[in-house]
Amino acid sequence: MTTAPVLDPVSDAPRAAPLGRLLAAELRWVLRRPRTLVMLGLFALIPVLISIGVATAGATGRGPGLVSAVAGNGLVLPIVALTLSMALLLPLAVAMAAADAIAGESAHGTLRGLLLSPVSRLRLVVMKAFGVLVVATLATVVVAAVGVLAGLVVVGGADGQLVTLSGTALGPGAALLRVGLVVVFVVGQLAAVGAVALAVSSVTDHPLVVLASVLGALIVFGVLSAIPALEWLQPWLLTSGWTAGVDALRDPLPLGGMIESSLRALCYVAVGMGLTTYRMLRRDA
Amino acid sequence: MTSSPTLAAATTPPPAAAGPLAARAVGLRKTFGSTVAVDGVDLDVPAGSVLGMLGPNGSGKTTLIRMLLGLTRADAGTAELLGHPVPDGAARALPHVGALVEGPGFHPFLSGRENLLRVAATEPLLGAREIAGAVDAALDRVGLADAAGRRFRGYSLGMKQRLGLAGALLLPRRLVVLDEPTNGLDPAGTRDVRRIIAELHDGGATVIVSSHLLAEVEATCTHVAVLQSGSLVAAGGLAALLESGTGGLDVVTPDVDLALETLRAAGIAAYSAPGDEPGVVVGEDGPPTAETVALLVRAGVAVQEARRRRARLEELFARLTEETS
Repeated sequence: MTTAPVLDPVSDAPRAAPLGRLLAAELRWVLRRPRTLVMLGLFALIPVLISIGVATAGATGRGPGLVSAVAGNGLVLPIVALTLSMALLLPLAVAMAAADAIAGESAHGTLRGLLLSPVSRLRLVVMKAFGVLVVATLATVVVAAVGVLAGLVVVGGADGQLVTLSGTALGPGAALLRVGLVVVFVVGQLAAVGAVALAVSSVTDHPLVVLASVLGALIVFGVLSAIPALEWLQPWLLTSGWTAGVDALRDPLPLGGMIESSLRALCYVAVGMGLTTYRMLRRDA
Repeated sequence: MTSSPTLAAATTPPPAAAGPLAARAVGLRKTFGSTVAVDGVDLDVPAGSVLGMLGPNGSGKTTLIRMLLGLTRADAGTAELLGHPVPDGAARALPHVGALVEGPGFHPFLSGRENLLRVAATEPLLGAREIAGAVDAALDRVGLADAAGRRFRGYSLGMKQRLGLAGALLLPRRLVVLDEPTNGLDPAGTRDVRRIIAELHDGGATVIVSSHLLAEVEATCTHVAVLQSGSLVAAGGLAALLESGTGGLDVVTPDVDLALETLRAAGIAAYSAPGDEPGVVVGEDGPPTAETVALLVRAGVAVQEARRRRARLEELFARLTEETS
């Protein structure tokens, strides 16, 4: 039999496709998915809508609140848009990506194909985490970038400067740096949401379960943080510091809130990815 | 086990089993809750063979295949693929294995070609420059070249099945596992699958194909494994299994009375053949063919023809699966 020598098991080294190729394939898959593109398009609309609202309201006078700070102060817009999207829309987008990443692939029977190629289970976790992080980053960057443009074009004012809530003015360079800082902060928080969503995604075949549990958890967190008697819970709730991004509008820049929230997010990432890995190493496909 | 004579004959290793094994199960067991899906299965798949895995729905075929491929961890027992333990050695074995398990799994929003490109990107043995060529060759081989640019969403059941087959055939494999490959295929598609299995076999690859289409298995397979309620009730070479199935010997002779007399005198069960052709049927407990014929000829019986009865796989399958249920 001619196959006999080929079947010598010793000669088979463990083989794996290059990690870069796996990540590129995942990226292509994420970006070819129609819902990702539609979602990014909708995120681009958020700052535009806010800017139009502010511009039309500007004619009738200023109201109180954060949004009114945008009036005549274009560079505030991206930060405000990010903070508002952070409440529900951005986590929703990330949860959706995480739901598709594992539960969705399992439901389509494609997870099996990946494992049979074979992609090792650890690499699969890396691939999937990368894909979710890409969606989180893209969505955040779209909101921020369109926010900057819409702020300058529609709202304008302040000569390209950012007038802080504290009343001082920052040059365009420093202002953009602050927008960048908020983008990094938001992506960090979304990574925490994504890690937890991936953990849920790794135990189910139903993408809807992931969406429901992530959004449900965010709502419960919101309710818990509104109960004064449960104030001791605050340091444990991911959502506690989600408004810290607005700190970037103060002068001098208070970093404490963002750093604390980021450390909290890091803990959520560690727990979420740990659970995802534990589960994926054992999951039937 | 009530079918001991059958099993004794069936589990005698056929000549091909002397070589290396492409896959092996030792005492594999898998339960889902209180349901025992696979119960202590021992199975050797000789390299170069085409093994047909038969069994009624829910008999554990797919679960056994999934354990062999490392998709599901066995509760007990060990599995080996191309000489490597599974799932721990999967990274060594699986690059050489192509599989279509539990139907084709693809993304509806991608075209057939894009779906295959994604699968090909994760194949360790394909170089970056070989991917596009391998995908086109596989599409061509399963007859999907014309529909490659269409979205998977719009594929018919048979086209989906063909695409799944293409995924298993992206590169030359040593082992190809096909779980119900002819599901949803039209007669032309079924012929294509048969041709592909024959090509793989001629190329020296091992094929494991599960099916409930017995005629399909009988036409393409060299070996058969029959599962019933999670247990292996028969396994071995197709020819040996079919022969052991009835064991009866048809002897065509004009001297029916003399033949019966001779055989009965020797303590061999025999009866005159039903049908138009004069002759006798020797029971399955009788001596080997040559001995029986020699006995008859010595007694002066004119033997025109003697042939072992071969069961159809369908009869064998019905008997095996009914016996144990």
